[in-house]
Amino acid sequence: MSSESPAPSLFANYAVPDGAFDEWLDAHGAPRSAAQRAIGTLGAFDGDEIARTQTLAERALLNQGVTFSVYSDTRGTEKIFPFCVLPRIVSAADWDSVDRGICQRVRALGLFLDDVYGEGRILKEGRVPEDLVLGAKTYMPVARGIKPLGGVRIHIAGIDLIRDSAGTFRVLEDNLRTPSGVSYVLENRLISKRVLPRIVEDARIQRVDLYPARLAETLRSVSPIEPDRSTCVVLTPGPANSAYFEHTFLARTMGIELVVPADLFVDGDEVFVRTTRGPRRVHVIYRRIDEAYLDPEVFRSDSLLGVRGLFRAYKAGKVALANALGNGVADDKAVYAFVPDMIRFYLSEEPILEQVPTYVCAREDDRKYVLEHLGELVVKAVDEAGGYGMLMGPTSTAEEREEFRRRIEAEPRKYIAQPRIELSTCPTWDPEARRVVARRVDLRPYVLTSPKGPWVLPGGLTRVALREGSYVVNSSQGGGSKDTWVQKP
Amino acid sequence: MISRVADHCFWLGRYLERAEHTARVLHVTTTLALDAELSSEQSWAPIVIVFGERETFCEKRGEPAAGNGETVQEYMTWDEENFVSMVWSIRAARENARSIREVVSLEVWEIVNELYLYMTGGEGRREYFANRWGFYRSVRKLCELALGFTRSTMLHDTPLDFIWLGVQLERAGQTARNLDVHHHAFTTLPDKNEIVQTALWLSLLRSCSGFEPFMKRHRGAVTGQAVAAFLLLEPSFPRSVRHAVEEAYQCYTAIRPPAEHQLPGGRSLERIAMLSAVLAEEPPGGLVGDRVHAIVTQIVDETAVICAGLGEELFRYGPG
Repeated sequence: MSSESPAPSLFANYAVPDGAFDEWLDAHGAPRSAAQRAIGTLGAFDGDEIARTQTLAERALLNQGVTFSVYSDTRGTEKIFPFCVLPRIVSAADWDSVDRGICQRVRALGLFLDDVYGEGRILKEGRVPEDLVLGAKTYMPVARGIKPLGGVRIHIAGIDLIRDSAGTFRVLEDNLRTPSGVSYVLENRLISKRVLPRIVEDARIQRVDLYPARLAETLRSVSPIEPDRSTCVVLTPGPANSAYFEHTFLARTMGIELVVPADLFVDGDEVFVRTTRGPRRVHVIYRRIDEAYLDPEVFRSDSLLGVRGLFRAYKAGKVALANALGNGVADDKAVYAFVPDMIRFYLSEEPILEQVPTYVCAREDDRKYVLEHLGELVVKAVDEAGGYGMLMGPTSTAEEREEFRRRIEAEPRKYIAQPRIELSTCPTWDPEARRVVARRVDLRPYVLTSPKGPWVLPGGLTRVALREGSYVVNSSQGGGSKDTWVQKP
Repeated sequence: MISRVADHCFWLGRYLERAEHTARVLHVTTTLALDAELSSEQSWAPIVIVFGERETFCEKRGEPAAGNGETVQEYMTWDEENFVSMVWSIRAARENARSIREVVSLEVWEIVNELYLYMTGGEGRREYFANRWGFYRSVRKLCELALGFTRSTMLHDTPLDFIWLGVQLERAGQTARNLDVHHHAFTTLPDKNEIVQTALWLSLLRSCSGFEPFMKRHRGAVTGQAVAAFLLLEPSFPRSVRHAVEEAYQCYTAIRPPAEHQLPGGRSLERIAMLSAVLAEEPPGGLVGDRVHAIVTQIVDETAVICAGLGEELFRYGPG
């Protein structure tokens, strides 16, 4: 149709917001070296071709049922996670420091958990305030003294990174309980290969499809018996869960069974699965159920979901749980402020990755500062996730600020504040305007830890705030995703 | 294999087979209504009975509506409250597949999901109104494709055996019910016109995909006894009750080998073996008059008992 008028270059009128670092173009509008190849090949596309590619990709995702459920939608409608075909590209040099920085961080966090559920050295020495840790809602007293099999607690972590105005990667959040999204990393790559085959081939990027095999190896490595003879399962709450697609994806690609709590039972501190040939012993459970719902004997007794006796079996070392119980205290938003100190304390190293300066409202000086600067800061509730319970200072109204002032004064432990970081932008297809626009992105790499140490998947989930001017990338609030291309060294 | 997963496999097979069967029967009846000199009533009312829906249908749509082809098709295809409508079966097949995404192959899942999106996303409805024949053909094709993909892309292992156990038991019941209702309708036809009778027997064969296979066996001689014997007892016809039950037995012995007495599922094994033996011993020549109804009733009842027994022995057992 539009072939009568020659399509303008895809990047004509591409405008990067003031103060934001763009992933593809430098401050002068010239391609960054990592993006050069992609711009060379994709630049030959016109708007119609991108639009067609985009439609193909969305159709493939819908047909494959790559969907998530939205909780607020009572009919349990499944939606595809919006996907933008224009990739996020990470240079080999940038990735090298991200990789090393994440491994360092996860090692320190693991040692921190060993410590706070063991001797509590870091608390006794006052490097991290004791009441902040022991008083956290996420601290689990019943886990005290339990040494998980293989010494591993954070088998699977997702570390959220953002990139500031200078292009420096900073850790925004650690997810050490049941981080989700890795299936989209793999699915997005499949879709990219399907709709942009030549461009993917040309781009010299690292593969991500080895993740399931590495995950299976990680799970087997902490089995109470010989790894090769172990039965590992993925435990899901069921098809109504928002991440159910991912649960099935992981079980399927690892070739292990997906179970719901009712499939399992505990007998004499051993866990069994009900099969058509009678009960079979289970050794490792990759649980995608929140720990509060795991075992009605120990946690929420009103939970209909759990497996009665599972905690006993775990404590007795007869079954490995991935991730271990009690990890929440290490990814608490207030404890986060102390991770650089943990790295220094446990590893005697300087942190490789920066993080976001954080004011912990439980500390009097910090609180005073936060209350005086509400209009400049982002305030977050420590026990909310998914972009809920936040105050975006710079764009807030006076009433909203007043509301947060009251909340912080009432329960200071519940809040932290951070300066707003300019998230970097990445070229994104806007289907309505039919052109390429700059949108904010973050990045969640995934880390697997076995007794031998951590390994980072070279890739990750790039989430993108699809609305103009938005900083919120969460899928529940209008976010989408992109394929993340980590270049080969 | 996990009991719950086995249950989902079994029902995935049943619902796919049921949806395909429904589409086929409705499709054949639309042509029958055109071919034979039958009233609309005579063509369509048996459909509602075959699917065991007479009472509910009459309650919801009124008795005369059973003779209205459009109403019957709409009810059997789109009625969301009708547990045996196509849309219900397809939704249920997809829910079962979605509950065991890690067990069925990607190919199977994609086709089942496509079928579901076709039925619920508007495309199916548009084709239903624009091209009825094309619509039924699309549904049948996707159902058969999904079942075919189970064999060509999944491990030939217990999950596949459970899917096909479901398919075969559903098939045995459907063929039996289909024969019963038509047989009953024919014997009560006021007009014993041979041409009309032949048209009806042929239509029954077609609704079981059995027209050409029957002709190959019988070289053109169409009698009620021959058709009944063919649909019930022909060992090499894939939709005959005997064939379906023997296949079901094969699937079941792979799941629960007869020699492994310590495993659960012994009673179901005996029941399937018994039904298989009844069919093997039935003399084809005797299938006239009341005998057809008697043996068909036995088959329908037995398959129901077998399915209930599977639920107790294999799908829901154990402590907790």
